[in-house]
Amino acid sequence: MNSKILSISNKSGKAVFLTKRDVLVKSYCSLSSTCPSRDYCQSCDLIDAAKNYLMDGKANSGITTLDGELSAGIGEYQVRKKVLLEAMGLGSCVGVILFDMSTGICGIAHVLLPGASQKGETKYAETAIEKMLEDMVSQGVRKSKIVSKFAGGAQVFKHMNLEILKIGNRNAISVEETLIKYKIPILAKDVGGEVGRNVIFNPVDGSMIVKYTKGGVVWL
Amino acid sequence: MELDVLKELGNIGAGHAATSLSQLLGKEVNMTVPEVKIREIRNLFNEFITDIVAGVIVALQDLDEKKSGYLYIMFPEESSKKIANNLFGLGELDDEMYESTIMEVGNILSSAFCDASADFMGIILLPSPPSFAVDVPAAVVDSVVSQMAKKSDHVILFETSLSSDSDIEIYLALLPEPCLLKDIMKIMEQI
Repeated sequence: MNSKILSISNKSGKAVFLTKRDVLVKSYCSLSSTCPSRDYCQSCDLIDAAKNYLMDGKANSGITTLDGELSAGIGEYQVRKKVLLEAMGLGSCVGVILFDMSTGICGIAHVLLPGASQKGETKYAETAIEKMLEDMVSQGVRKSKIVSKFAGGAQVFKHMNLEILKIGNRNAISVEETLIKYKIPILAKDVGGEVGRNVIFNPVDGSMIVKYTKGGVVWL
Repeated sequence: MELDVLKELGNIGAGHAATSLSQLLGKEVNMTVPEVKIREIRNLFNEFITDIVAGVIVALQDLDEKKSGYLYIMFPEESSKKIANNLFGLGELDDEMYESTIMEVGNILSSAFCDASADFMGIILLPSPPSFAVDVPAAVVDSVVSQMAKKSDHVILFETSLSSDSDIEIYLALLPEPCLLKDIMKIMEQI
């Protein structure tokens, strides 16, 4: 396989590296806010570990490879194992992650609207979470083991003259209410603000990686 | 058929927006051949550029205050700075001045668009005051798309771009509500 996705964690920090033909093409690093080279990775413990792994292929401790990446489109959800899950370009939308570390089954939903759908459409927060939950349970997850994280629901308009565009906040509230209703513990959330987000889920350690469209990465 | 008529509406509207931009900048402005496409909302992320752009969104209403659609005018960062500087002839603009300049340009372009659709096709579209955001288009447009997603899994996109001097480029997108298509067809039948 030409492209590999590595999840690395060591003393200094954690990172996910996306590589193609052994060249680093993208990274999400927990140190990026303090890193002097910012997004242009040069050399550090984490990168060296990744390079060593790519060269000799030996499984070191703290390095895990993932079986690809998968993005949930607007109003969709995805459930997988050992795959980097993504919800990209979230403005008022919310990325909701449900996961169970014991089986490794995780899901991400890209929620577009608050409330529930009569027709089972997963663009609505409540319906998306219900269906994703059912899907995970049918794959063998015990409902009591499932935990959640979510991010999004921004208000990207700086000058706002249309009430209908203020939907981000309602989406975030609807997601939170649904999670509470189904008694799913919320381990982390990052909602609101004025900046769009990309939400990535690393199934190796259960971290939600929030990459802001205007720069900055946080691991939650 | 509906899509062809929509394309014509977009064409006339965008053409007049191009003329306004040309008058505003005192430069020649070119318009690319517009495209009309129907896209599934779930794949919409791939339809837009992934750079940060300054964007102006204007809602369009008919005389009964029924929503007819939305215009989304995108100014890539370099272009928006060029346009603002071009209009003011200053080196540095503070953020507020820059933002309101771009909003006003968006306002002028969308008004030109609406004037043209009324004059040439008899379709009355009243633009709302502009809303302004600087972010990746996917993150800006999702709140508009969420309005349409209540009724449909698809959106219709009319897209074109205006450019001048190879260093100014503006993208224009029209997202019609289904009722706009119906109204257009009704008017066309009367002719």
